[in-house]
Amino acid sequence: MTLTPTTYASAINTQLGDQGLAQQPWWVEQWMELINSYRFKKRLERAWEYARSGNVTSIRFEGRRVHARVQGTDEEPYKVKLWLDVLHDDDWNYVLDALTQKARWSAQLLAGVMPQDIERAFAASGKRLFPFKLQEVRSECSCPDKANPCKHVSAVYYLMGDRFSEDPFVLFQLRGRTRAQLLADLAKRRRKALAKQARQAAAKQGSQPVAAVALQPVHPAIKDPNRWWRYGAALDSDLVVITPALEGDTGLDAAGPLPLAEEPRFPEANLHFLEHLKAHGQQLAALAMAKAMGPANGDDS
Amino acid sequence: MSLLHATWLFPPEGSGGRLFLWADTWRVATPAVPKLEAPEHPLALNEDDLATWLDDNGLWSEALRPARATLTLPSRNQAAKGRRTSASTWSGLPLQAGEPIPKQLEWWPWQVEGWALDAANAGEWLSQIPLAGEHPEMADELRWWSHLQRWALSLIARGRWLPQIAEGKARWLPLLNREDDRRRLEDLASGLPQVATCALAAGPSGDPSLACRRPGSGRLRVASLLEALLDGQLRVGFSASAGGLDPLLAAWQKALGKGDGSLSLGEEELERLSIATHHWREGVAGKVEPARTCLELFTPAEGEELWELRFGLQAEADPSLRVPAAAVWAAGDRGMQMGEVAVPQPSELLLEGMGRALTVFEPIVRGLDSATPETMQLTPAEAFVLVRTGAHQLRDVGVGVVLPASLAGGLASRLGLSIKAELPEKSRGFTLGETLTWEWEFMIGGVTLTLRDLERLQAKRSPLVQHKGAWIELRPADLRNAERFSVADPGLSLDDALRLTASDGDTFHRLPVHRFDAGPRLQAVLEQYHQQKAPDPLPAPPGFSGQLRPYQERGLGWLAFLHRFDQGACLADDMGLGKTIQLLAFLQHLKAEDELKRPVLLVAPTSVLTNWKREAHGFTPELLVREHYGPRRPSSPEALKKALKGVDLVLTSYGLLQRDSELLESIDWQGVVIDEAQAIKNHTAKQSQAARDLARPSRGGKGGSRFRIALTGTPVENRVSELWALMDFLNPKVLGDEPFFRQRYRLPIERYGDMSSLRDLKSRVGPFILRRLKTDKSIISDLPEKVELNEWVGLAPEQKKLYNKTVDESLDAIARAPLGQKHGQVLALLTKLKQICNHPALALKENAEAVLASGNGSFSSRSGKLQRLEEILEEVIEAGDRALLFTQFAEWGLLLKAHLERKWRQEVPFLYGSTSKTERQAMVDRFQDDPRGPQLFLLSLKAGGVGLNLTRASHVFHIDRWWNPAVENQATDRAYRIGQQNRVLVHKFITSGSVEEKIDRMIKEKSKMAAEIVGSGEDWLGGFDVGQLKDLVALSEED
Repeated sequence: MTLTPTTYASAINTQLGDQGLAQQPWWVEQWMELINSYRFKKRLERAWEYARSGNVTSIRFEGRRVHARVQGTDEEPYKVKLWLDVLHDDDWNYVLDALTQKARWSAQLLAGVMPQDIERAFAASGKRLFPFKLQEVRSECSCPDKANPCKHVSAVYYLMGDRFSEDPFVLFQLRGRTRAQLLADLAKRRRKALAKQARQAAAKQGSQPVAAVALQPVHPAIKDPNRWWRYGAALDSDLVVITPALEGDTGLDAAGPLPLAEEPRFPEANLHFLEHLKAHGQQLAALAMAKAMGPANGDDS
Repeated sequence: MSLLHATWLFPPEGSGGRLFLWADTWRVATPAVPKLEAPEHPLALNEDDLATWLDDNGLWSEALRPARATLTLPSRNQAAKGRRTSASTWSGLPLQAGEPIPKQLEWWPWQVEGWALDAANAGEWLSQIPLAGEHPEMADELRWWSHLQRWALSLIARGRWLPQIAEGKARWLPLLNREDDRRRLEDLASGLPQVATCALAAGPSGDPSLACRRPGSGRLRVASLLEALLDGQLRVGFSASAGGLDPLLAAWQKALGKGDGSLSLGEEELERLSIATHHWREGVAGKVEPARTCLELFTPAEGEELWELRFGLQAEADPSLRVPAAAVWAAGDRGMQMGEVAVPQPSELLLEGMGRALTVFEPIVRGLDSATPETMQLTPAEAFVLVRTGAHQLRDVGVGVVLPASLAGGLASRLGLSIKAELPEKSRGFTLGETLTWEWEFMIGGVTLTLRDLERLQAKRSPLVQHKGAWIELRPADLRNAERFSVADPGLSLDDALRLTASDGDTFHRLPVHRFDAGPRLQAVLEQYHQQKAPDPLPAPPGFSGQLRPYQERGLGWLAFLHRFDQGACLADDMGLGKTIQLLAFLQHLKAEDELKRPVLLVAPTSVLTNWKREAHGFTPELLVREHYGPRRPSSPEALKKALKGVDLVLTSYGLLQRDSELLESIDWQGVVIDEAQAIKNHTAKQSQAARDLARPSRGGKGGSRFRIALTGTPVENRVSELWALMDFLNPKVLGDEPFFRQRYRLPIERYGDMSSLRDLKSRVGPFILRRLKTDKSIISDLPEKVELNEWVGLAPEQKKLYNKTVDESLDAIARAPLGQKHGQVLALLTKLKQICNHPALALKENAEAVLASGNGSFSSRSGKLQRLEEILEEVIEAGDRALLFTQFAEWGLLLKAHLERKWRQEVPFLYGSTSKTERQAMVDRFQDDPRGPQLFLLSLKAGGVGLNLTRASHVFHIDRWWNPAVENQATDRAYRIGQQNRVLVHKFITSGSVEEKIDRMIKEKSKMAAEIVGSGEDWLGGFDVGQLKDLVALSEED
């Protein structure tokens, strides 16, 4: 519960220090800037302390709202609610129209990347994805403090930033569409547009529409029942000698840090978790190679 | 013989599952009729038998648990086969692997008992299954499984995995984003034997419902199997020991080490973890899709500067199958067909891939500004980045890249040589060291260039340059290497040319050779050497009394061709194609050309020495042949030298080769021939060493060169472990020393079935091995449908003694016998002598069990005939052929059955007088129909000689002779009749000098006596007087 000044300082540094900030994805960065634009620095600091010491006992994204519980001075935790203005369906239609204009937006969203210029697509509706001012973030807290945002709400702000880094599409959700909905709507719209384009092209050329997709082809094993039994391939030559990964070339290395918000009470938990996985991986890799070599000195004929 | 199968039992839902082992065997079964649940598989082994089998074969594991499964198998409708069943009832039998596929097939579920392993233990168990080679009792899919497991091991070794939350469970998932892993998934999927996944989802006790499983899209199925194997193995031994974790990670960590991977987390927390891990993986892993995004780079048009990058899709199963983005957009909201591959949402696939491409190759961002982009332009610098590093990175995130051929990487895009060479004017191309006339040019990416071109291009200071219309990549070291080579300006020998043309990727003075143009005369030599073209055939030489078939003339030409090069040759023709004749013709060829100046030593197993002598006598009467064998052989160099004066061919045995090695080395042989060359397969054995020593002219330096020829009927080129000893005898330099050979070829090939090493090895030894099969197109027309071979065998010492003793005693007794008993006694004598020729144990009526208990070796060594029979059967079994063995003695059949079964560890049925009618039919059916039926079938001449149809056999052995050739022919016709697909080899054993030879001669000469024999059995023999009888039976001494 009580942190020594040093850990406190270093903890803040990892989260808010210049370097730490620079490594965050841009949307987290933007969120943090938003919070730091808040004028009451004292209250912000207390909120940060709350966040660090685990006073926020839960955060749930329920539909378009964020529900959180924050342990304050009262026995019962306070209930905090946060929400943004939801975009109306009409607005969303504008956004979707805009998003289909550039293949890149769909491409990045499909690949799990939040496009940096996403706001330009939202601008088509005259709305924004990110709140421009803190005032746009609506909040309610069951605490007696009249100030808004109170320190409980502010504590939740901090943790939400981390949650954005886990899943940037939470923002879409707060604006009224989950990522899945968004992608489905985008796909529907794109297909419609493409189908129209294809029809026009066909009409222009006066050609027949392309025949519908063939029925699912009969599996070759039905035509040639020998495929039920037969396997004649030799071992892939790449698998003849089983080699370890090059330094820094494992799947864990490629995936990088876990996009999971760290709980302040368990600093470096992600690191510990990954280190342990790596150690396990190395141990099993050595075992796998030994197994692949076959019984030791198996050939002394 | 039963066949072990392995099938995956998918759980009713979710991932994971177990490996299910089961086996089927051949037996007579009643077809199943429809019921409300799936019928029991009538040919499957039951739980206990399978357990015994697994234990016997060293495959038992304590982790095995009894299990049942319902398998969908191709089945034969028995009603359709024309059995008398009413039209309304269906009845059927499951097909077995290797059975001929009937026209009418149905798929039907069958219940099977067996044993199952969970995923972790399945991985362990599969790691011990052989990765290559023929294993008659393991079904093909076991090899497929072992390959899948090997891949799982490789993924674990390379750390290509990532833990995930999938379907609410903590799982270890493989990461298949790398190009080679994706290709491997396609390979394993396209090769998947459906039997490996033919089980319905089943609970622990199986599900006997009457449903069938469809053969499925291999890709997804294989991916889920790999997932299960990998998850099982990574889960084992993972301890949740890392401390300082928050509750979320702690729960995940714990679940990763738990059997079912379930997490003790609230729904909301699970959701959060699941999304986070999903994002973690998303950036690095491509999904398992039928197609992937593909970027194709085009060089700038003439006079332009910018390169073009076109977008499209590429089928995973066949990367050459590509469609441009325009077609993808045009498909609209419909699916798309790429060859046989169906792509449900092509535009989504393309976009998603472009999104991933963007994360590693940033310039693409410019190309994605429109709604339906198809292509974009790249600056030269960007194009170079793409060629140099981008392509690799893109492929690693699952995006295909197609580069112009001259830049596509690999050896061809590196600086190398283009060579033109020809034999010098005067040369006939017969010596290896001889220098060729040649010219060379440098070559990169398919275009040739001179040193000056290189200098000029290098001066442009651009890594991608255009030369002769093609874009090529220059590397910093290229100019230096080119200069070095130009300065060295080496010569090119015929030896180099043979090596460079033997396999791809060989280098000459450290530069790869991209092109080799041989002039017409050199080309002719190269083609013959690499056996792309048969050497010119040689007709039978003068003095050869016999005819050569066309392929034998080619074989003779080949022996002579390699002889001119002073290269050792291994003639490995299939049994029955006449290796002996070709070798004799070759020696006669040397003789006729006046090149045979010194004696040639031929080493063969004792059992065939007689045969050699007979054949040489018959085909090459001009050759003076001498045996170095027996107690009266010369024992000093002087005596031997004297004895060999004027001798052309000396025959000796492997045993003496070793015992008399010093003596034999004292002779200046012109050549050494080893027959049944598999005898030297073990390179450390003494006789193998002796043979190799003898292959080189003696150390003293005296004496001329010595030719080496090896004869064998076994597929030597497939027996990697035996190749080294053989090549060391023939041409020692070809395969290097033994340790090198073992590391470079033997281990990779034998243990892992490495095809590239095998190909390389074959191309190295290929020029020196000639193997033709009876089934080769070029042979089959030259070969009669029935080939009769006489197998001349000698008597073992014990046999000889017994034979002489029996003759002496019996003749006396017969002479003194009253007339009425004479006939019976003569018959008894003949029978006994024939028995002795087969085996002394038969004649002495020794207790079968006691005799066989003496061990294989000592039983065979007592009979020359049995030794030879075993040698030939070895080849038959090796080749996977089937054989009928006829004998007239039931006791011999029984002894032989027990002996052969023990020796080859397979069942050898014996059909004779006391076999019941149903047993008979079962034996015949099994021999004809069981895919893994016995390879050898013993029959008594009387009971098995008529009426049966045994066309699956392509060899017929007459172990002992019958007086009447019609009876033998009738027996032969069990195999040689309508329905026979192959050439039939008929082996007739004749013990030389014995009564068997006399019988053979009589039959051949169709003498008056023989005429009487035909149709009269052995009755006529009673009329012989003692003198005639003595001529018939007495052992004639060796000539």
